[in-house]
Amino acid sequence: MITINNLCKRYDQQLALDDVSLTLSKGRILGLLGPNGAGKTTLVSILNGLTPYQSGTISIFGLNLTDNLPEIRRRSSFIPQSFAFYENLSVIENLRFFAGIQNIKDKAALNAIERAIAINRLEAMLDKRAHSLSGGQKQRLNIAIGLLNDPEIIYLDEPTAGIDPELRNSILQTIHSFKDAGKTIIYTSHYMQEIEQICDEVAIIKQGRIICHETIAKLLTKENGTSNLETIFLQLTASEDASC
Amino acid sequence: MLKQMLQKEFILVLRDKHSLAALFIMPFIFILIMSMALKDTFNSERALLTYEIIDLDKTLESKTLQDFMLTSSFLQRQDSTESETHLSITIPVGFADALLEKERQEPLLQLSAAPDVKQEMILIFRAKLTADIMRLRLMQIQEKIAPFLPDASQLNLDTFHSEKLFDIDYRGMQENEQPTSTQQSVPSWIVFGMFFVIIPMSTVFINERKQKTLMRMASMNISIPALFAGKVIPYLLINQLQVLLMIGAGIYIVPLLGGDALTPGHSLAGLALVSISLSFAAIGTSVLIATLAKTVEQATTVGGLINILFGAIGGVMVPKFYMPESMQQFANISPMSWGLEGFLDIFLRGHGVKEILPEAMALCGFGLCLLLLAATILSKRLRV
Repeated sequence: MITINNLCKRYDQQLALDDVSLTLSKGRILGLLGPNGAGKTTLVSILNGLTPYQSGTISIFGLNLTDNLPEIRRRSSFIPQSFAFYENLSVIENLRFFAGIQNIKDKAALNAIERAIAINRLEAMLDKRAHSLSGGQKQRLNIAIGLLNDPEIIYLDEPTAGIDPELRNSILQTIHSFKDAGKTIIYTSHYMQEIEQICDEVAIIKQGRIICHETIAKLLTKENGTSNLETIFLQLTASEDASC
Repeated sequence: MLKQMLQKEFILVLRDKHSLAALFIMPFIFILIMSMALKDTFNSERALLTYEIIDLDKTLESKTLQDFMLTSSFLQRQDSTESETHLSITIPVGFADALLEKERQEPLLQLSAAPDVKQEMILIFRAKLTADIMRLRLMQIQEKIAPFLPDASQLNLDTFHSEKLFDIDYRGMQENEQPTSTQQSVPSWIVFGMFFVIIPMSTVFINERKQKTLMRMASMNISIPALFAGKVIPYLLINQLQVLLMIGAGIYIVPLLGGDALTPGHSLAGLALVSISLSFAAIGTSVLIATLAKTVEQATTVGGLINILFGAIGGVMVPKFYMPESMQQFANISPMSWGLEGFLDIFLRGHGVKEILPEAMALCGFGLCLLLLAATILSKRLRV
């Protein structure tokens, strides 16, 4: 589904991504972990065609990213960490707007909006202005917008940051339900427990390099099941040349 | 896609009370206030100067001079006890005898002016007084030569003074039509109000950027030209609505308050051209400021300041004809001045499309340059 080979990205003299290679199969959830500034957001930006890169190749759906960006974008969705919608529009107005600008029309639009509402349990707040929603409801709207084009790949950038623990669980359940629908997900988060809970595999980025890419199950077995992901992450990111 | 962008922008503006106030209420109030405040500036029938006469001579000639002075509509005689007058004329004893004297030591009259009277007003007053004295002299000469030239006494000097020597025809205006304060203030405040699209535009645009809505839209295959079209078109329409409402206020509401009604000129195409071109310049300025500013507060403060500067320089706040020549030249750097001249060409000078083309092209060029600059900066910022 996603194949990255020897990807390099440089900002002036600073190397943001250093020879990154990664593959992710259809229907898998990949947790992208790393300290602040490690290169997670840059990688997600590049995969969405929002940031240019200097070298390497990226193939998504078997298509080269650079040559097939519009097609790849049509089949994938980027859900930013911030509430990327209009606070002064109602929930339904926001959904209609984002469906409209993606050229999702008529019955297809109605179906897409209904599906996004149902998955994210937004029925009771359709006419509410977005600014009057709670943090958790806003995040559900944020995710609902990302589902309108029925994407095959979803990029979620810290979707539970700043959300109450109770609401966080319901959002995680929603995200986990995407896997059942056959979606492929790249998920960035600071919460190790979440990654453990919903991801199939994890990639740890440190200073622009992927120092570990493994299934959660294997990673925890390697450590004889005595450790948790947080401990492993701290060990890997603390030492100079660690890898898993 | 464009339909959704337009709908979204309209809903957001309609729900933003501050923007509505800046776009519609502020220019509307300015038009009412300034049309009423400047009403007398353009009224040729009103008294420009008040004066008093202290007649020490008390002769037929001194009384005749006072009668001549009363015929002027721009001078208003007042009793000195009522209030302080602009000018005071003292007719000294011996005035009548001195009228035809060749070598006089003292001037015929004594004038005293208040220090705040403008020089041009004193010049107008002197011209009127000189003409009246000449008339008195002619009457005295006529009297003196009458015994020798009987025909001269038949000449009625009064007809010289009552006859209409010329008509004033204001170029581009219909017969008997005169420039009014409304003709000046409506274009000025339309121009000023149009540039206030900065408030709704920056509020929406900066929030879109900060909340990564723009980035999300880019990831949905929305190109920067499409994004900009989604900004330019709605605000073009909002600006046209402003123009229509302000012209409507000038035509229908100002007269209800006692002001002069606006006459919107004779070229609808010219009006549309100048209005769309100016809107393009205003939107270009707003998009660039919104692109450069980091916060909404920054954009609205900087945008407001730029608007006030453009307005002050461009003749919106102080009409250009009040400015000295050098300042009038300087005013031409402001796009508000180009727009204002375009509107004045239509409203006041009766011009059409051909005459306003230079201003329209300058405004479109200005708007296009700023939009291109904003697009370049934005595309760099979106591609982190």
